[in-house]
Amino acid sequence: MKHLPAHTIQVAGLQKHYVVHEKEPGLAGSLRAFFHRKTKLVQAVAGVTFTIDPGEMVGFLGPNGAGKTTTLKMLAGLLHPSGGSVDVAGFTPKERRAAFLKLITLVMGQKQQLLWDLPALDSFRVNQAIYEIPDDEYQATMREFNTILELEGILKKQVRKLSLGERMKCELAAALLHRPKVLFLDEPTIGLDVNMQVRIREFVAEYNRRFQASVILTSHYMADVTALCKRIIVIDKGQIVFDGDLGELTERAGARKVISVELARLVTLERLASYGQVQSVEGLRARLEVPRQTTSSTAARLLAELPIADVTIEDPPIEEVIGQMFGGHRPATADMVRAQEPQEVGS
Amino acid sequence: MKRMVATKYRDTGRPSKARTLLEVWFANMSAYRAEIVIWMLTGSIPLIMLAVWIGKAQAAGGAVGDFTPQRFAAYFLAAWVSQQLVVAWVAWELDLQIRQGILSAKLLRPLDPLWEHLAMHVTERLVRVPLAIIVIVVGLFIVPGTQLTPDLPHALLYLLSINLAFLIRFLIAYCVGILAFWFEQAIAVEELYYSIAMFLTGSFAPLDLYPVWARTIIEWLPFPYVIYYPVQILTGEANGLEIVRIIAVQLAWITIFGVLRSLLWRRGLRRYGAVGA
Repeated sequence: MKHLPAHTIQVAGLQKHYVVHEKEPGLAGSLRAFFHRKTKLVQAVAGVTFTIDPGEMVGFLGPNGAGKTTTLKMLAGLLHPSGGSVDVAGFTPKERRAAFLKLITLVMGQKQQLLWDLPALDSFRVNQAIYEIPDDEYQATMREFNTILELEGILKKQVRKLSLGERMKCELAAALLHRPKVLFLDEPTIGLDVNMQVRIREFVAEYNRRFQASVILTSHYMADVTALCKRIIVIDKGQIVFDGDLGELTERAGARKVISVELARLVTLERLASYGQVQSVEGLRARLEVPRQTTSSTAARLLAELPIADVTIEDPPIEEVIGQMFGGHRPATADMVRAQEPQEVGS
Repeated sequence: MKRMVATKYRDTGRPSKARTLLEVWFANMSAYRAEIVIWMLTGSIPLIMLAVWIGKAQAAGGAVGDFTPQRFAAYFLAAWVSQQLVVAWVAWELDLQIRQGILSAKLLRPLDPLWEHLAMHVTERLVRVPLAIIVIVVGLFIVPGTQLTPDLPHALLYLLSINLAFLIRFLIAYCVGILAFWFEQAIAVEELYYSIAMFLTGSFAPLDLYPVWARTIIEWLPFPYVIYYPVQILTGEANGLEIVRIIAVQLAWITIFGVLRSLLWRRGLRRYGAVGA
């Protein structure tokens, strides 16, 4: 090989700040704001630096308002940086050149680009024309998407009559029809049921494999990220607080699982607490945090020893994981419960 | 760093952008045909004014100035059709897209959104045609002896002129819509346009009946070139060199508003990129 593959995305010291106007509530506040507008500078992205290689899939994690979406929008050319530099596939995104736009895509939740009153197929035709996709490439892509996403039967239905999941599949297909090399996926599975989340995930993985596309994914669902990305970038307050291997991150923070139980009858909190850290109690429902390694044995013991009606095991919510990781604070509910012991669980 | 290029494919033909946009938007607009008929009826000022002016002509012993009921009928029927053909709601569309961030999805595609808006407007026009024909036939029947157009050349030149008129109106509305990048109430300007245009385009009365001083000012504005002058061509009031002049002025206004729209668009996008998309 003559040279190593260049980075697909190169970001250095990227910043974005906004000036926001502040207004106190009420009429008096409005009047005051009319004459004296108070402004505040908000640092949405405060200098982030990273590179992403061809074919690499990276998960962006961070609490709401951390700057994930703002960063993605700058990478896609929608927002102009306040400072620093961005290079995506050799282009400066904010120039929005046609050749650049043909190489990228940005999928934002359910922001629709499909025409509401027509079958999705019509929107696809529009995209085919706009992206100047030759007929045989279009046919080939559609055949592949049909198989992976199971679009058969929903392409000819009016978009407004599709279910949320069906619509999301079509949105994704429309966004990837031109076979972009760089994918920015902002919460692509939000609001979807678990089956559909899995289907979308598989599609993204398959697309990445087939087209060697670079992917940046943000998600609230830990499962999305763990299933797809080896590398994780955690953003908090506009800055990168972690950039590395997924395994390392889960070791550092996600080494715990949450067992939710629904009890058939009352049990003392003390007894419950012997299985793990009680996070919250609500009627006959309780949430316990346990070390990842002992999750299944603890769940088995719970089932055997307590009057359990239902049990589910899940990852702690991503915001909690990150909160614990960097702030070291626990959810308030757990402290409240602990302060009140001993008491009986249930009403 | 070296630029990436999209995978090259053997070019086996690709659909034309214009044709696809028009086909798809025609399908979309057809889904709205009932609404479009209602919108057409809300744009009926010229028909109401027709009744008013004919009443006035009859009260005045047959004519107002040179205008007989037949001439009024020809004028207002032509004005009504013209108004149907120059409708533009792109200001509302842009206002919504900009303020709600829908524009972002459009900006990701390698095509100026102008073309999609244009396709939307052009195809909507086609849905209006059947009802327009019915109204004209009924109108000609109600006022016997009315001659809408003298000959085929005038009708064809009218078709050219009314399409140019539409472009003027469309580009004005586009400029107004772009103001939403800066102002939350940009659409108020559109409302203002609407009420002013009512008087200045000739929908209320033929400009011939306006006071001379008013007429002199109006001539320097784009408004009469949106309704009044195309109507003059259709009804055969304008001939020869006058038609050439009208079309030349229309082209000039299109150039002016076309350039203005490009400037505003570029500045607007810079602002959109700065404050949030």
